[in-house]
Amino acid sequence: MAGKKLKLNAIATTGIIIIAFYLVGIIVSFFWVPFDPVDMDTDHILEGPSFATGHIMGTDEFGRDVFSRIMAGSSISLVISLAGTALGGILGTLLGIWAGYLGGAWDHWMMRFADILFSFPSLLLSIFIMAILGEHTLNVVIAIAIVYIPQFARISRGAILQIKQEEFVRAARSNGATSHYILYKHLLPNIVVPLIVQVSLSLSVAILLESSLSFLGLGVQPPAPSWGNMLSGARKVMAIAPWTAVYPGLAIVFLVLGFNLLGDGLRDILDPRLRNVG
Amino acid sequence: MSDDTILRVEGLMTQFKTDYGIVKAVDGVSFDLRRGETLGIVGESGSGKSVTNLSIMRLIQSPPGKTVGGKVIYDGRDLLSLPEEEVRLMRGKNISMIFQDPLTSLNPVLTISLQITEALQLHHHMGKREAKAKAVEMLKLIGIPDAERRANDYPHEFSGGMRQRVMVAIALSCNPDILIADEPTTALDVTIQAQILDLIKNLSSERHTSVIMITHDLGVVAGMCESICVMYAGKIVERASVDDLFYDPKHPYTRGLLDSIPRLDKAGAYGDERLYSIPGIPPSLVNLPEGCPFAPRCSKAKDICTKAYPPETKFDGERPRSVSCWLYAEEK
Repeated sequence: MAGKKLKLNAIATTGIIIIAFYLVGIIVSFFWVPFDPVDMDTDHILEGPSFATGHIMGTDEFGRDVFSRIMAGSSISLVISLAGTALGGILGTLLGIWAGYLGGAWDHWMMRFADILFSFPSLLLSIFIMAILGEHTLNVVIAIAIVYIPQFARISRGAILQIKQEEFVRAARSNGATSHYILYKHLLPNIVVPLIVQVSLSLSVAILLESSLSFLGLGVQPPAPSWGNMLSGARKVMAIAPWTAVYPGLAIVFLVLGFNLLGDGLRDILDPRLRNVG
Repeated sequence: MSDDTILRVEGLMTQFKTDYGIVKAVDGVSFDLRRGETLGIVGESGSGKSVTNLSIMRLIQSPPGKTVGGKVIYDGRDLLSLPEEEVRLMRGKNISMIFQDPLTSLNPVLTISLQITEALQLHHHMGKREAKAKAVEMLKLIGIPDAERRANDYPHEFSGGMRQRVMVAIALSCNPDILIADEPTTALDVTIQAQILDLIKNLSSERHTSVIMITHDLGVVAGMCESICVMYAGKIVERASVDDLFYDPKHPYTRGLLDSIPRLDKAGAYGDERLYSIPGIPPSLVNLPEGCPFAPRCSKAKDICTKAYPPETKFDGERPRSVSCWLYAEEK
């Protein structure tokens, strides 16, 4: 136990490997992709996957290389979901922990506001926000953040409510701790576990949200590639050229899986009550 | 106020608003704590012992609780009328506290090293390395073996007794003038209880710390304290030195408590082998009856007892001695 190095478990490691694989792909895509992702090639429309032509995942209805578009779209998808989750997560958590800790009128109004946001399905809410803000990549981030603020606020508030009555809070107070100190030093570390689980889940849902918005034509605008608008384009030709939909779909599935595995694994690692047990 | 009085509590009143009405948890409690003295506060569950001391520390959660009257004079100032920030700076530094349950009074996700130096870090800024060294030093002081390695452990890796020792170390780390120990041994098994009491006794006498020992265990009081206040239904009913109280209890409630201790050498108050218990239960603090709250359970109750609360009657003793009971007061 000396040194207390965090030992990764198999679940988290699998998640990290999957995410690392994507990260490598993103970094490579900045410098090199097999074909120009936006260059149309009318001689090679809807060609099936083949190593001979170099289109290992085939081409779409404009003759663009599917693999290159997946690579080029990965950075956009990942950055949007990371930024959206981070923004929504931080704001939501801050609102939630202060609401839970202070209680009273502040808590009441914050949570009623969260209830209002909560009453819309997340896709509907993000479509609504995109309709107000306009179609822009940055606005997708804002839409995802707004969808997440009430979720993080509610989770962190609930967790704070549960532990703020604990004796150690009173003990810290009897040692002369300020509210600020108690909240950030004592309470926040106690609610990290549910928050991390929420982050991992949110990252994957954010990727789906971004894809959905792009699919509906509200997110990343063509011809710039994103997994969502690739699926959207593939809709019309899916019956005759399934590879145009299957490969972007798989790209989404595996990244979502990677985040979920990482979240599950981290939950087991980070909670000292579960550590060194079994 | 004599020179060696370090804390004077005067007419302290703390109430809680509940759905059933106002609970008068502490109803006019007064006592003096002398420098270096260990004062025991004894009473049943719900008699207001803990609330009294949380009120002194201004740690009553409001709402629903509120200290509505009285004074707590420390260092010439009334703690109840000071701004919160000044009281906060005194907590842990001048007056500190040990809680009942060592299993819940340490934060489960922070290391022992971090928590044991918490009071020190809050009151004296110190670097990480200095704090770590201090933590190891304190763990050694309270007799935790292999202190260097254990400092980085989490509370769940410590036993209950070790955790309570850690709590004692935290409370005494800033050399406070007053230590309030709120049933520090209730949650521990008997062999560990003695160790904790010894630790509190040794560390506090080394540092000339005055101790307020809240307990319902008269055995603890006998071994630790110089004087005792017996509380019943939010009021102090008897105060005396330990010897006076044990050899010559005045208040019928105190006698009842002493008779309820299992003894090997003589039969109890029933005159046979059965253990005595005071009949009835403590009254609800929402609607206290007029008169002495103990009267309904008291075998010596007179007419006056249910009509008016008895005044304090003073007695001679080695320490301030008084009883609030109509048996000793003159009816007017």
